[in-house]
Amino acid sequence: MQWNPETIVAVAAYTGAGICMGFGAVGAAIGEGYTAAQANHAVSRNTDLSGDIFKNMLVGQAVAESASIFALVIAILLMFLNFQGAPLIKAAALLGAGLCMGLGALGSGIGSGLPGGQACFGIARQPAVTGRLTTNMLIGSAVCQTPAIFAMVVALLLIFIDFSRLPLQPGWAALIGAGLSTGLAAIGSGYGGGVAAGASCEGVARQPLAVGPLTTTMLVGQAVAQTPAIFGLLVSFILLFRGIPASESLAPAMALLSAGLCTGLGGIGPGIGNGQVAGGAVRWVARNSAIAGDLMRVMLVGQAVSQSTAIYAMVVSLVLIFVV
Amino acid sequence: MGELGRIHQLLVSIGDYRLAINLEVVVMTWIVIFALVVFGLATSRRRSLLPAPIQVLGEILVSQLYGLTEDALGADLARKYAPLVTALFLFLLVSNWLGIIPHLEEPTKDLNTPLALGLMGFVIAHWAGIRSKGFKAYILEYFQPIFFMLPLNLIGEFAKIVSISFRLFGNIMGGSIIILVVSYLSWNIILPPLLNAFFGLFVGTIQAFVFTMLTVVYIAVQVK
Repeated sequence: MQWNPETIVAVAAYTGAGICMGFGAVGAAIGEGYTAAQANHAVSRNTDLSGDIFKNMLVGQAVAESASIFALVIAILLMFLNFQGAPLIKAAALLGAGLCMGLGALGSGIGSGLPGGQACFGIARQPAVTGRLTTNMLIGSAVCQTPAIFAMVVALLLIFIDFSRLPLQPGWAALIGAGLSTGLAAIGSGYGGGVAAGASCEGVARQPLAVGPLTTTMLVGQAVAQTPAIFGLLVSFILLFRGIPASESLAPAMALLSAGLCTGLGGIGPGIGNGQVAGGAVRWVARNSAIAGDLMRVMLVGQAVSQSTAIYAMVVSLVLIFVV
Repeated sequence: MGELGRIHQLLVSIGDYRLAINLEVVVMTWIVIFALVVFGLATSRRRSLLPAPIQVLGEILVSQLYGLTEDALGADLARKYAPLVTALFLFLLVSNWLGIIPHLEEPTKDLNTPLALGLMGFVIAHWAGIRSKGFKAYILEYFQPIFFMLPLNLIGEFAKIVSISFRLFGNIMGGSIIILVVSYLSWNIILPPLLNAFFGLFVGTIQAFVFTMLTVVYIAVQVK
């Protein structure tokens, strides 16, 4: 067996495709399972509406599947695109693309099933607002997929940009680090956004008149919960587009790789935490919509504090990239 | 499998710049526009108190979308934005459905179409925000909750364009890649019609609705 660059690039592409679709299948399946479980619960509670609940379940599951469809797109591009004659550094980029999209689909897949489940249950509870529940579910579930979309953007950049001018030695670590940063950071933000969206569907069923403040609080909460994923995206872009001097020693490469890991792992907790804050706020807007403004203010401050750990992680990453 | 990722382009040089025009997308977009014009004429040419089936179809579409816009924006703004919302939804719906006809392709499969529509929604939302709040209040929004959140707020706004357009692009592109690959692997037996029904009709409808509703919600968030 000969390890020429062409073989290594092909090996990296196939490994990346496997990792991408393997991890990408996990999240969406769990999310869709949750939706179906709640739909069963709802049907048993209100058997007359089984048709409506079933339709809503299917629509919710189809949206929750998006994250794994994105993973499938990247996996198929990795398998079937022609990388002949690509330089050795492309191997790192392709592996990074697979890691990025596979990990990035995890959180959003689980998260986007939560509003589907709550909406099914809400229909059983409050059949008159079926339309509003479905609309709210679609918006919430679509917005909590944003982190997975960031991961897809980074994966597409890694696949299609020509990296032949990047030096191989620290360059490979920068490319894999770029993939890990967005991929890992998307896990927490995707799940957190789903918690907020689920709470919003539950809230619409509880208090249909408050649908305006509920949607606004949900969207603001989700946007803030997505900040760790945006940190991950920023670090990925810095790693991708900053010119890196060639170096024979292993230390700069490890610094770049761990810069990606640091922001990625550091973003998981704040993403979930911020989502729980947003979910709590949305839940109480439904119970007492007169004080929606106060709730939003408390939510934003709480989220800012819980986000500080993601900021520490990003500061360490930036130090690793620019100083070390 | 060679046709994956191949695009027919027309390159036009203007000075130092080179314009790349994706010919298939332009032709498919014109087909969609033509289909929508025909549909519009068919539904509204012979209006009567006792409506023909096609007129009923048009009325249902318009009144449903009007109701959704009214829910999100309120009665005043709905009069202004409902035509835009209806047009956007119908364009995306027919675009996403176009792929089920052999030899035709979805214009939304090319990133340029969703990106252009996403940019359009972004500009409209921010223009509506400036109109309703005034320029000063609009700018101050970016310094909420604390002043140093400005860069994050700005990135968050631009991330909305990326997420709304890549969501549509990823789903439609993903659907068409899956149809291509699975049809190829199964020698085009039995599976392609079912896949077209799921990814073309079902997912296409949902994604067209999601794109439209997100555009409306972005306007609503700016206006409030």
